Amino acid sequence: MAEVPSKLRAFLVRLGVLAAGLAGIVGAALLNRFAHLGLAPTLLLEYAAVTCVIWGLNGFLFRTVPLSGATLLVFSAAAFGILFLIAYFVGGIVAPLLLDTAGRFIGFVRLADLVFYAFAVLTIAGAAGCAFSRNIIYSAWAMLFAFLGVAGLYVFLGADFPAVAQVLIYVGGILVLILFAIMLTRQIGGDPKLTNAHLGLPVGAALAAATIGMLAYMAVMAPWKTVPVRSYEPVSAALGTAFLTDFLLPFEVASVVLLAALVGSVIIARKEIKEDSDMVLE
Amino acid sequence: MTSIGLPHFLIVGAALFALGMVTVVTRRNAVGILMGVELILNAANVNFVAFNHYVEGPGKITGQVFSIFVIVLAAAEAAVGLAIVLAIYQTFRTIDVRETDLLRE
Repeated sequence: MAEVPSKLRAFLVRLGVLAAGLAGIVGAALLNRFAHLGLAPTLLLEYAAVTCVIWGLNGFLFRTVPLSGATLLVFSAAAFGILFLIAYFVGGIVAPLLLDTAGRFIGFVRLADLVFYAFAVLTIAGAAGCAFSRNIIYSAWAMLFAFLGVAGLYVFLGADFPAVAQVLIYVGGILVLILFAIMLTRQIGGDPKLTNAHLGLPVGAALAAATIGMLAYMAVMAPWKTVPVRSYEPVSAALGTAFLTDFLLPFEVASVVLLAALVGSVIIARKEIKEDSDMVLE
Repeated sequence: MTSIGLPHFLIVGAALFALGMVTVVTRRNAVGILMGVELILNAANVNFVAFNHYVEGPGKITGQVFSIFVIVLAAAEAAVGLAIVLAIYQTFRTIDVRETDLLRE
């Protein structure tokens, strides 16, 4: 090993320490399963692992931060404290949803749960992209993911026909319509970077935080009268029967509304063309 | 019995609603505002279908029927709304909602 250059050796040492730190974090999670050992060994191992990870990462990423000796220990202690607080609060909020009434731990890796979380993240990420993107074309594409995620949630809820209708109407119809409207109208201010400018984003963010906090609190705390989860069975035939028996009048009214919207939108959108051309319609 | 319950879907619906409301409140582009309205309608739909699955008894699909009606009205709203946006653009040559404060030219 004497002929190995010192830089390569330092690189290997840092890589090894980084790997040891990551393994230590995983090992601490496993150690926590043995509850009779108490929390102290887990915390010590986590701290050591976080220190190793930070020291290893220091050689690769944060080259500008001189971390060595006592500074490293203090820095890793701070990082560990922040991580611990985040984990504590997330655990305090999420754990009541993960523990059943008998206090048993419901495993993270349940396939149906993973599918739900995947669709929920897809939906919310798409909606966030739509809300915060600076380019309106990107907003429209982000909305595509939000719509597809909502369709997945419908399937998860045993609503196959609404899921297909969501994909057909929203993705195939409304999104294309929105893209046409974007491309037929000139961008605001002519600056392509700012086609989708915000007014008062802090106020909007505060409004969103207040709304989502209140609604989520209500959703978790309210004593919903739920029935046992139903089995998944196709609902299209039952939906058709319902439309032609119990909901016949709303169904016909919806048809008339669609016809009126079709005619009305054509008339509204063609107005200027009629005035520009020489053919004046009576 | 999975651990996913009604509150999970309601929280997803709440997040969709809040993000759609932010879009409606903060956008200057009229098309962007219509996109926010679509997000809000989607949030309501998620809640309808979730309540239909978890609260209504077996064999009842009223919530899904309502979600279909919401989708139909969202389509009509998008068509008319975007036609109005096009008419506004042809009149004012802009769709910045701060500029379009007159009912005539």
